[in-house]
Amino acid sequence: MKIFSSGLYETVVLGSAAMAGVVVVIFLLLVLRRHLAERQVDANKRIDAAITRSYLRRVAGHRPETDDTGWTDERRLAAVSQIQALLRGGERDRLMQIAELDGLLAATVRRSRRWRRSERVNAIRLLQRFGSELCIARLRELMARDRSPLVRVEAAFALAAAHALPPPRETMRILRMTDRAPSRLDSALLRASVPDYREQFVLLLEDDLPPVWRAQLIDALGWSGDVAVIPVLEKAAGDEDPEVRGAALRAAAKLGHPGAREWIMAALRDPDANVRVQAVKASEALGLRDAVPQIRDLREDSQLWVRLRAEQALEALDPGYDTTARPPLAPNPAPDLSNCA
Amino acid sequence: MTWSVVQDIAANAIVAVAFFCFIVVFLRNMIGLAQLLIAAWVFATRIEPSEGARELWQRYADLALPITMIAPAYNEELSIVESVKALLALEYPEHEVIVVNDGSKDDTMGRLIAAFDMYPCERTQVAQLQQTQIRQTYASRRFPNLLVVDKENGRKADAANAGLGFARTPLVCVIDADSIIEPDGLLRAAEPFMHDNGRLVAVGGAIRVANGCTVKGGSLQKIDVAKALVPRFQVVEYMRAFLTARVANAQTGTLMLISGAFGLFRRSTLVEIGGYRHDTVGEDLELVVHLHRHLREQKRDYRFAFIPDIVCWTEAPAALKGLDNQRARWQQGSLETLVRHRRMMFNPRYGRIGLLAMPHILLEDVLGPPAELLGYLVLPAAALLGLLDPMMAVAFFFVSIVFGTGLSVGTLALEEQQLRRTPSARSLIRIGWAALLENFGYRQINLWYRIQGVRRFLKKDSTWAAVPRLGFGAD
Repeated sequence: MKIFSSGLYETVVLGSAAMAGVVVVIFLLLVLRRHLAERQVDANKRIDAAITRSYLRRVAGHRPETDDTGWTDERRLAAVSQIQALLRGGERDRLMQIAELDGLLAATVRRSRRWRRSERVNAIRLLQRFGSELCIARLRELMARDRSPLVRVEAAFALAAAHALPPPRETMRILRMTDRAPSRLDSALLRASVPDYREQFVLLLEDDLPPVWRAQLIDALGWSGDVAVIPVLEKAAGDEDPEVRGAALRAAAKLGHPGAREWIMAALRDPDANVRVQAVKASEALGLRDAVPQIRDLREDSQLWVRLRAEQALEALDPGYDTTARPPLAPNPAPDLSNCA
Repeated sequence: MTWSVVQDIAANAIVAVAFFCFIVVFLRNMIGLAQLLIAAWVFATRIEPSEGARELWQRYADLALPITMIAPAYNEELSIVESVKALLALEYPEHEVIVVNDGSKDDTMGRLIAAFDMYPCERTQVAQLQQTQIRQTYASRRFPNLLVVDKENGRKADAANAGLGFARTPLVCVIDADSIIEPDGLLRAAEPFMHDNGRLVAVGGAIRVANGCTVKGGSLQKIDVAKALVPRFQVVEYMRAFLTARVANAQTGTLMLISGAFGLFRRSTLVEIGGYRHDTVGEDLELVVHLHRHLREQKRDYRFAFIPDIVCWTEAPAALKGLDNQRARWQQGSLETLVRHRRMMFNPRYGRIGLLAMPHILLEDVLGPPAELLGYLVLPAAALLGLLDPMMAVAFFFVSIVFGTGLSVGTLALEEQQLRRTPSARSLIRIGWAALLENFGYRQINLWYRIQGVRRFLKKDSTWAAVPRLGFGAD
């Protein structure tokens, strides 16, 4: 009986054989590549060592090696990346100048214009290592204009690592932060730029921003290391949005300055459970012994996560606290606050 | 009814079965090819975790969501201490380890108490999800981030639920106590949560067979490939499953399985659905299907992610004895899950899960195994009897064996090009050889084991036989 023609079956047979044949050939080529790489391990190690030695000699002011057979740009870049992590100050600057003279920076900048996103990201990582003005300029260009949001974020991280992020208003605009919910990487970026732009952060808070983003900015202020922001945090602690109030408490806990004592203790009575949790954590971080009676009361809180956090804080704040004599913490169907607890 | 009519009916039935088998096997392989191509595209365009981001992550360690590792342990006295030490040593800013002793009959509990200086403690269970009694919880004087829960025996799902109930962190990682997690596996698995804006529910990671590798102190010292064929066949299977199927499924939003050996979940979502089900032998598949169902019924915007990097190594059955039970159990678990969540099948209310993923499980786990096994018998027989075009039998052979080998070798090529975790060219050849050989016997035996799983499902057999382990380093 024939439902399909023999021609169709022949096509299936030939198609299967062709697909398997092509795949097997690709696999064998990869095996061959690996085999050759394994055979050349020692030779490659020698070349890499010679490149490293040569750069170290040049940094120290000696003449470069004359035999540079097999010294590809990729190998040179790998060597420079390794060495620059070991050098500091003037030596590191000299190494980067030499690498630029060797054309390695130009090769990396070219790479940062390639079509493949992963290639551009690899180039960003190299540009970050070079860290020269030219690299920073190219990273800023990528952050501002690359077609891929992921590449833009990657460039922003490279700039953050080099303390060269643009002001926060620009960063937020370029990365279109306020069009979406914040991620933890956004928090990291903001925290990274706050030591350089504390005033701009405070100014930004006057804008009409969504509460989640206001909370992010407040949180970042905790990483400014500047106690002058305490009044700003105090104001935020009275905000109508619980997320902003919680962020103010987190920031105060990070700063660890006793100037925040009064309003942290007041937040222990906040109607929002998340804020109470943050207040307990901040009290613990600041070592507020005065808050112990209030925290003891929170062991009877209606929310399980507040009770749990209060128990933990008491263990740290009250040396005489007997963990075995505490009242039972019955589970309840409370909203999940494990993110903040 | 005359004899010739009976003959005609029988002939037509044979032909119908033959066509059915052919089409099912053809479809499975076409889907396999599509998955391989999608996975290749994902690998080619993916951005590896950035050093810059990781540096910032380390600087702002509090942004890394704390994780509780839940390790159910049953009769693990030989390896539990080393396994827990390895878990405590994982690179992560803040993680707690909860070992749940699931009523072990050996000295698992005693070893833990002695090795980690454990003492009885009171610990509030945030959610009670287990069905058995908790005997005691223990804290460690030496490791503040270690908790041991001693409970009555109730199988892995119950033990994992008990641990989940004690977890207080936003993320939980459920593993097998004898899984070997890569030192930075937790960091890599948690990385998608750094980019997440609240949608991500769970992350799975690639798991690799550890047979043949050198393991010391609960951590992997040297990667190698087992000399025995059965573990080597499983290396190929694991690569196909984790490097092509899961990667492609995650990319298309149809990831339906996060392995029980390693899975990172948002704790609150697991608690919402009541944790793992106790009445199935395939609790890991059921959990993810249940999560999809729950989140879609609640109309929540969510996603699952998969990390193609290897995060975990596990010991596979070293011989057919042991593999039989495992494969039958997997099959039985799939069928139980499909039946329990049958209303999702072809149901547009569940989006691509109902219209694509569930039918794919049906094709892969219900129709596939009997169709392929039957096809090996019926197609050549029908061709010999003159009922079918002999070219169809040849085409069936090419689709199932030749094309199947192509898919396996293609996965190996993908691994070598993108991950390069196979130790040498020689090992690659050995795995490649296994990818060819598995089609002649091993694959058919596996199909038979899966038919046994169907039988167990129909008999509602709920017995659970542990897979015999030789221990790491044995070959």
